[in-house]
Amino acid sequence: MTLTDQAAARRSSAAPLLHVEDLQIELITPNGIVRAVDGVSFSIGRGETVTIIGESGSGKSTTAMGVLQLLPPDLAVLSGHVSIAGRDVLSDRKAITSVRGRSIALIPQDPMTALSPVHSIGRQMTEAIRIAGAADSTQAARERAVLLLQQVHIPDPASQLKKYPHQLSGGMLQRVLIAIALASEPELLVADEPTSALDVTVQAGILDLLLELQEQRGIGILMITHDLGVARLVSDRIHVMKNGVFVESGDVRQIVDAPQQDYTRKLLAAVPTLGEWDETDSPTVPEAAGKDPRHV
Amino acid sequence: MTTYLIKRLGQGLLTVFLTVSTVFILIRLAPGDPAVAYAGPLATTEQLAKVRQQFGLDLPVLEQYWIFLQQLFTGNLGTSYSFQAPALQVVLERMPYTLTLATSAILVAAIVSIPLGVWMAKRTDTGKELGANILTIAGQSMPDFWTGIMLLTAFAVLIPVFPASGFATWGGLVLPTITIAILQVALISRMVRREMASNFAAPYLTVARSRGVSERTLTWRYAMGNSAIPVFTALGTRFAAMLNGVVVVEVVFAWPGVGSLIVRALETRDYPLIQATVLVTALLAVLVQLLIDLAYPLLDPRVRLGKAGSA
Repeated sequence: MTLTDQAAARRSSAAPLLHVEDLQIELITPNGIVRAVDGVSFSIGRGETVTIIGESGSGKSTTAMGVLQLLPPDLAVLSGHVSIAGRDVLSDRKAITSVRGRSIALIPQDPMTALSPVHSIGRQMTEAIRIAGAADSTQAARERAVLLLQQVHIPDPASQLKKYPHQLSGGMLQRVLIAIALASEPELLVADEPTSALDVTVQAGILDLLLELQEQRGIGILMITHDLGVARLVSDRIHVMKNGVFVESGDVRQIVDAPQQDYTRKLLAAVPTLGEWDETDSPTVPEAAGKDPRHV
Repeated sequence: MTTYLIKRLGQGLLTVFLTVSTVFILIRLAPGDPAVAYAGPLATTEQLAKVRQQFGLDLPVLEQYWIFLQQLFTGNLGTSYSFQAPALQVVLERMPYTLTLATSAILVAAIVSIPLGVWMAKRTDTGKELGANILTIAGQSMPDFWTGIMLLTAFAVLIPVFPASGFATWGGLVLPTITIAILQVALISRMVRREMASNFAAPYLTVARSRGVSERTLTWRYAMGNSAIPVFTALGTRFAAMLNGVVVVEVVFAWPGVGSLIVRALETRDYPLIQATVLVTALLAVLVQLLIDLAYPLLDPRVRLGKAGSA
């Protein structure tokens, strides 16, 4: 608990956008009940990016989906405390519907499967804009959709609205999804591995866009990733997750330059180094990384 | 698009032609003699020979086929032995009854099975869904002649609220429709359930939920929109199949449709009538199938007609 206490002590603002306290998530699986998330605590303030990094199955995505309450209600049991923009969304189950698509928005893992294939981009965008209450007529919603697509740097936005998801590339679709997420002027974005399904060259563009939007709007971001390169680029703080708990939490430089935990060192070693301010070209524990096939 | 249509129509006509030709040969290979059926068991050999000559059955099969083809292209399908009227006319007079029954049955099936399938998909792995599942399997397992006779016994004999046979009043439509619909509902609702359940688990649905789309819109616009092709195909092909005559149900309820007509035509070895029935129903089946295919691009923008594997 000392690590989470440290994280709590580092909380910047008095009223964070997202405050998670001792969140536990139990998943009902055919093999019994699995505690996927076992008491994690963190908070995100305005303009901050907090990253949860970990290997597959560490519980990082489950944490993000749990915060948004997008886990199947009959298969996931949540306990603890989660408040989004000051609203307690765990004790009041209906509260989540008033913050989803308004205060908080999701940027999904795989843009290729994240939009309904039989509805046009325009239809899905204007729907989100209408839900967010950002336009009171179809015409106004379309104009706003064009504006949003411009903001995510999509060329010729008006003609993109008529297209269907299968007519756009993965990188373009992720920009569309970011535009949809921005429809409601959210204060907080949950980005669940937003670049893992994309080409490396496209990844950088998407991350740049997220950082640009954050700078312009002061949005808080909860970033879920297994990629330390991504985490290092975007994060203010990093929580390293393993088996449902945070094994290490701290400032991005502290985690990257002076990892305290063996697991964090292995994670660092498993990622090819490509950053500017990483002088340690040789991985800290190369033999451990070689033996451990889990880090992909 | 025009090329596609011409190609499909050509294929369809070829299918119909081959079907009719196969039936022409097969009924002549099958046991039974139309002359005996026509003239009766007591007819003399001379009388039978005369009947055969009259119907052109004394000619070699290939020559009969040649005459049949010539007549076919002038729209003449011969004279029905038992009705002593143009065979095509006899079939077309029966068609509206079969169309009425098939339309009514498919509408009832769609109206019941789609909401039922959605209801089941929302309750996957619960006791209620298991109950509904058992009911639909029961519905699927009951033979339609048995269901028909049970319904007749219950609602035409014991509690006489509906007529037992024929189509004199609209009430006569109720029991045959229910008989057909029970089986169709059982089949289609389980298919709707499967499609909807897989779409409920699709990532795009979770992402749509994350932006505040209501559960109702998620169900009917998102999941149903993405289940439309298989559901529509199932309804369409079942409708096409029913146009060939719902034989057993039509016989049980003495329904004056194509199904009961074909039974009579087969019993009396009424070759022209059999051929005319097969021609009309095959044409209809091909046409309905074409209409289903033409509707695909409207239901799913990824489908491009005439381009294989583009979906």
